[in-house]
Amino acid sequence: MVDFSLSDTERDIRDWVRNFVQRELMPLEPEVLRRERAGERGLSKDELAELRDKARQAGFWGVQTPEEYGGMDLSAVLTALIEVELGRTFVPFSFGGYADNILYYANEEQKQRYLIPTIEGQRKSCFAITEPGAGSDAKNIRTTARKEGSEWVIDGEKTFITGGIDADFAMVFAVTDKDKGADGGVTCFLADRDMGWKSEPIDIMGEWDRMPASLVFDGVRVPEENVLGEVGQGFALAMQWIGRGRYLLPARALGGCERLLDMAVQYSKGRETFGEPIADRQAIQWMIADSAVEIEALRWLVLQAAWQVDSGMDSRHAQSMAKLHGGVRANEIVDRVMQIHGGMGYTRELPVERWYRDLRLLRIFEGTDEIQRRTIARNLIKGHASIGGVLG
Amino acid sequence: MNIVVLVKQVPDTWSERKLSDADHTLDRASADAVLDEINERAVEEALLAKEAQGGEVTVVCMGPERANEAIRKALSMGADSAVHVSDEALHGSDAVQTARTLAAAIGTLESVDLVIAGNESTDGRAGAVPAMVAELLGWPQLTYARKLDTDGQSVSIERESDAGVATVEANLPALVSVTEKINEPRYPSFKGIMAAKKKPVSTLSVADVGLSADEVGLGSAPTQVVSSAPAPPKEAGVKVTDEGEGGVQIVEFLSGQKLV
Ligand SMILES: Cc1cc2nc3c(=O)[nH]c(=O)nc-3n(C[C@H](O)[C@H](O)[C@H](O)COP(=O)(O)OP(=O)(O)OC[C@H]3O[C@@H](n4cnc5c(N)ncnc54)[C@H](O)[C@@H]3O)c2cc1C
Repeated sequence: MVDFSLSDTERDIRDWVRNFVQRELMPLEPEVLRRERAGERGLSKDELAELRDKARQAGFWGVQTPEEYGGMDLSAVLTALIEVELGRTFVPFSFGGYADNILYYANEEQKQRYLIPTIEGQRKSCFAITEPGAGSDAKNIRTTARKEGSEWVIDGEKTFITGGIDADFAMVFAVTDKDKGADGGVTCFLADRDMGWKSEPIDIMGEWDRMPASLVFDGVRVPEENVLGEVGQGFALAMQWIGRGRYLLPARALGGCERLLDMAVQYSKGRETFGEPIADRQAIQWMIADSAVEIEALRWLVLQAAWQVDSGMDSRHAQSMAKLHGGVRANEIVDRVMQIHGGMGYTRELPVERWYRDLRLLRIFEGTDEIQRRTIARNLIKGHASIGGVLG
Repeated sequence: MNIVVLVKQVPDTWSERKLSDADHTLDRASADAVLDEINERAVEEALLAKEAQGGEVTVVCMGPERANEAIRKALSMGADSAVHVSDEALHGSDAVQTARTLAAAIGTLESVDLVIAGNESTDGRAGAVPAMVAELLGWPQLTYARKLDTDGQSVSIERESDAGVATVEANLPALVSVTEKINEPRYPSFKGIMAAKKKPVSTLSVADVGLSADEVGLGSAPTQVVSSAPAPPKEAGVKVTDEGEGGVQIVEFLSGQKLV
């Protein structure tokens, strides 16, 4: 009925990434930890660019980018498998050749200025919707844009914007028609940093690679040709951006969980208390077993959601489930892994605490646990999704 | 120039490796299997020679069905075709029988100019197969190459051993085995991976290469593994704090172990 195996080519691509992670990224782990602990970036921009170049030489670049832009144009399932492999290390790496999905809605002229340079890594974007007063309820944003001649003037503040520290343009969402609100009254603008917005980093629990910024728009003038898509149609773009690959966040966490559980198994075999390895204790074994089952469940939630994307189905319900399960379970697993490591798990000599801090974010951003549950429950109550899943 | 590369699938050095309790052969199920790293270097060297001289690179592999993964890796790096000798009867073959099988497989190919192999596999580590294959083919053997040059007529290598470095040269056809110093192998490319599935792989039985089943395999192997035991776990070393006596203590330790 169902075939869960990979094709040879899928396996080869997955193994290529696994090999790259083992050969190129894992050896950097001690140095990345050392630097992060000294408050520095784990990988410098040059080092990241060098690693990306190396992968690009072998054609690993633009994982989901269409072929016409030189990308690999891989399926969602393969992309998820790649994320799992990258997640097996905490070295903050992703392949180059990526641009936000909504930039593909740009017109030809905007594509030359924004889409293509972003794919090529010459420009860096950030996605700015959240505001101090509007997070989960993104429809409630207050940033405004008013038309003056051939320009739009943007006023407001955005917060928690990933990449906002060093992005050179923002895809910023502002209210252009207060009466219509999110339904026809929000517009997305391509706002270059040199048009005048300012950013301020926000110190967080996670490391550099996660560090967001607040963005201040104080009378920032954006030419009218910088509207992305249609005036008033911005909210739909925002939802598309957020939905672009919700399955990829838990995919990366899955890789981390696999590695963490592996570390816990190894540690439990070597650590003896009261004359026996702790691996022989039922209390430890149950933690290992529960984690393994949850990892397995997560794997198939993620891959099934990805498969729905590839099949052209409405995958939102499955993606919410994968994101929710990933966030909750990954946090339980890293907690158990820390427990199995005892005091060592809590030290900064091991990366467990780094993962512990990092994985916590998954329950908050791109839709909190509560918002995912809300979506899932509403889908069922309204009959948009079946309790029987894709099999009906 | 037609080049054959001998490749082997081995347990990943990243995973735990062990021998089967029943017959002391490699427990292939217990570890991830990969193309041997030393063979990646052999393939790389063949591809460099092909890029310079033209011709074709054929990989020859003896191993169970699963070894097709290692073959595909070599093909995705850029080799053109493959011969896979796969036969139940081969299970437990020793170095001599392996060399016999590989030489016979090479014999099925037309006009081979150069055979490149790794100097020793990362699992068995006998380091004998390349020399034996050359002997069976009646070709010159140039082993332990850390550098290889060929003009299509002859081949010359830098041979590195404990005694030093020698330059060795032979007319083709010849066999060269390479060490891990020879090169840094390329990553297969994405295009290479996509193309690999379409490259020709001929799967041959023992009979297809002209041998009979009783010439190969555990039963008739000239060498036998009688027993095996896991390496003893590493013991904690002795820590010497140098308080002026460090040098003396180290010498005492070394002479106590009869190392000096
Ligand atoms: C590191 C980081 C990076 C981020 N990157 C970006 C980015 O690049 N771009 C961007 O625009 N935003 C970004 N965000 C913002 C992120 O998406 C929001 O933080 C998130 O949507 C939650 O919004 P909030 O923080 O305002 O929490 P709130 O919405 O105020 O929620 C507070 C709590 O109430 C719960 N809650 C809210 N509404 C309900 C409800 N109806 N029912 C039950 N419970 C509810 C929430 O689940 C949460 O537990 C980032 C955030 C972080 C921390």
